[in-house]
Amino acid sequence: MAAGQLFPNNVISVEEVKAGIEKALKLSEKWGAAEAEIVWSIGESTAIQFKKDVIETAKRSTNAGYGIRAVVNGAVGFAGTNIMSNLEETMKTAIDSAKVMEADPSFKSFPEKCGGYKPVGGVFDEKIVEMSLGECIGCAADMISGVKEIKNMIPTSGGFSRSVSYFLIMNTNGLAGEKRETTVSGFADVTTESGDVSTAYDYAISKKKELDFTAIGKNAAELAKKSLKGISAGAGKMPVIFHPFSFSDILENTLASAVDADNVQKGRSGLAGRIGEEIANPDLSVIDDGTLEEGIASGPFDDEGVPTRKTPVIRRGVLSSYLYDSYTAGKDGVKSTGNGYRHSYAAAPSVDLSNFIIEYPQSDIIAETKKGIYIHTIIGAHTANEISGDFSVEGRNAFLIEHGGLTKPVKSVMISGNVFEMLKNIDGAGKDVRNVGGVVTPSVRISEMSVIGE
Amino acid sequence: MDQVQYYDVNQIEGRSMAIILDNGKLETISRNNTKGAGIRALCGGSWGYTSVDGDADLEAGIKNASELAVSMNRSTPKEKIGLGAAAKRKNGDMPVIKINPEDIRTEDKVELLREIENFAKAKGIKSTRVSYSETILSTKYFNSEGNEKEYQTVKSGFSISAVAADGGNYQAGRESRFDIAGYEIFEKNDPYALAREAANAALELLKAKTPKGGAFPVVLDPELAGVFTHEAVGHASEADLVLQGDSVLAEKLGKQIASPKITVIDDPTLHEYGFYPFDAEGILSEKTVLIKDGVLNSYLHSRETAGIFGGESGNARAQGYAMPVVRMSNTYIDKGDASFEEILEDIKDGIYLTGSRGGQVNTGEGVFQFNAEKGYLIKNGEITDLVRDVSLSGQTLDILNQIRMVGKDVKLHAGHCGKAGQTVPVTDGAPHISISKATVGGS
Repeated sequence: MAAGQLFPNNVISVEEVKAGIEKALKLSEKWGAAEAEIVWSIGESTAIQFKKDVIETAKRSTNAGYGIRAVVNGAVGFAGTNIMSNLEETMKTAIDSAKVMEADPSFKSFPEKCGGYKPVGGVFDEKIVEMSLGECIGCAADMISGVKEIKNMIPTSGGFSRSVSYFLIMNTNGLAGEKRETTVSGFADVTTESGDVSTAYDYAISKKKELDFTAIGKNAAELAKKSLKGISAGAGKMPVIFHPFSFSDILENTLASAVDADNVQKGRSGLAGRIGEEIANPDLSVIDDGTLEEGIASGPFDDEGVPTRKTPVIRRGVLSSYLYDSYTAGKDGVKSTGNGYRHSYAAAPSVDLSNFIIEYPQSDIIAETKKGIYIHTIIGAHTANEISGDFSVEGRNAFLIEHGGLTKPVKSVMISGNVFEMLKNIDGAGKDVRNVGGVVTPSVRISEMSVIGE
Repeated sequence: MDQVQYYDVNQIEGRSMAIILDNGKLETISRNNTKGAGIRALCGGSWGYTSVDGDADLEAGIKNASELAVSMNRSTPKEKIGLGAAAKRKNGDMPVIKINPEDIRTEDKVELLREIENFAKAKGIKSTRVSYSETILSTKYFNSEGNEKEYQTVKSGFSISAVAADGGNYQAGRESRFDIAGYEIFEKNDPYALAREAANAALELLKAKTPKGGAFPVVLDPELAGVFTHEAVGHASEADLVLQGDSVLAEKLGKQIASPKITVIDDPTLHEYGFYPFDAEGILSEKTVLIKDGVLNSYLHSRETAGIFGGESGNARAQGYAMPVVRMSNTYIDKGDASFEEILEDIKDGIYLTGSRGGQVNTGEGVFQFNAEKGYLIKNGEITDLVRDVSLSGQTLDILNQIRMVGKDVKLHAGHCGKAGQTVPVTDGAPHISISKATVGGS
């Protein structure tokens, strides 16, 4: 797997990078580090952006850099650089930082050498590597024409992007791993061309090239059209159905941090000390799965070199595991669940979700609902109280459900609730499973929530 | 036809460090040393952009960006973009950095943070976290028109959070200060007092009730009113959003859109967190009056949007060497003439919302949602019970017209603004303001 083949324009030799890393790891011992770890990642991306129906900008970016962790007395220092010639100097910086820190008995060690990683299917597509600029422009054009299939609808902005990346990790325990992946994604924001204003967006991401870009534009336009001339929802308690967009948004801003072992250990999780407890409807299971074929967050190992796996987080309503990286696992005396991820080479790893899969028996939930509200997207999910799970958000592209069907669009509706109560009050899931940036979920119905219309 | 009519280059080199203390433990010391360049080229109506990490070959970069622009324009021909000319402006003052943070030993920084954290460890506080960061950035700019400039900035900041718990009830208090300043940030602000405030806020919130939701008269404190100004008014004033049909302020220039008591200003020349001497297109920065006495006076512009509207540019900004986008800097509602007491007396019964947990806005439909850190019920002109989990939502234009009174006590608060996948430092602010009626979310 030569990175040279992945990045034809790049002159950096991966063999030279590996040799440089090996040398720097050896030097780290001499300079006083008990352990050290170096990652090097390189990525190339192409993005095409449109404003209204005009394709305006083509972007091509490459980024590459080193992230280094060094351990002295159990204290871990971090340093990063994207200046290739600075590798050894950056190692010194990481060691110097570690020396300033106090000993940390909770630190056990960096992950051990792994016998062999199991490849995950469907995360690398040669066809994405080979995409020409013309093809990329074509995908953006498809989104625009998808929007225009619906009368009186026009894009406001949106774009296509493709990326190819390669990740290398080596540590002083002899661990070495390399992985590569490809991604394409499309995003379209739309509005009405004249008359009353109504907006909506749609988004899709895939590890494989096959993605229906026309559908992205068309879906957004259809949703905006359906949302025209919203009425007031009134106020009260009623059943609420969340589309995968809104449901995943809430989970990522509440449940995700509650099952993060780091938050649990620090007393910042509403789920601390509750393993084995029934915390959700017994029909609900939630699985974190870094091995999911074609999964957005899948790979043979996490960003610390720990093999990925399937971790049941909620098993038939019962909280069964938190998610761990190697540090938090060492502290609890358990094995890392392979959830140590980095935002980029310039950041130390921390616990994050991989693919987060929501399982609940599926049925025709809209048809089974007499009266309620359907919420497509929400704004403000990031303002949720991560610890208590309380949130109050604005529902967008919302609809009244009457006698088993979406009847009228609803304007401006506030939904307040608590994620832990929601998990208990789930009483239905749709057949529309969707992968929303790593959260794989159907639409979900909550038996009763507080709704305030304008 | 297929000629590049313009290119520009932003080269950024930076050093940053961060320290995090968590529950008394020194959790992280991290340092980053990065450089890179972002290069744009314009051909007809098409932009080509490339960015390269590390030691960039600028000649190759310009060629690359030019090729992208040319081939884009060939496959999707469109109207030529005319860039607005630079307005005649003077160089402003650069902020004076008193204490270079790199002159302070890491051990001493850690020691100070420990002391700060101790002030947050009040009785009933379950966990605390204190973080510090410093960034030294040098920016070099040049373009095909012969404009060439550079500057260096030092930014630092700290944040303190405290979590109080009582059974399954968890509440957090948070205080942060970021500034275009060196280590003197700890002299300009009292970090110990802020740590105590964060802890007190968390403890008070434990006891607070959630109010019943509905439409009420509200008073906003400077921080929350600042968030409203930034999110609801500022973003809708960004000319790129106006052009793409994504702003409720489109076709409103010169029209009364707010109470005549309202004047809104964006000013990158202020020595605050959103400061820059020139923008990412090499244009010297200048104050822009967005709303003057309730009348929409101007949008915020890049050279491209200024060329279309005939406005003045100076608000194109980028995170590092990403592609420049129209952005705010230091944005605030200008001071009015009411005292806080007068505002409360006038409102009589309602809710006083303070602090912010963030918010979001749909600029196209002019709908927003913000969460206050806490609220107080106002009864008969007096502040009474504390309430929590309160959010404010409504229509931007509606709220702007319902503003009753504007205070004299303008305060700016530093934060980070996200748009187009990029984060830039900004401040936003306002005096206390009152609104006749707004939707407050509760239980």
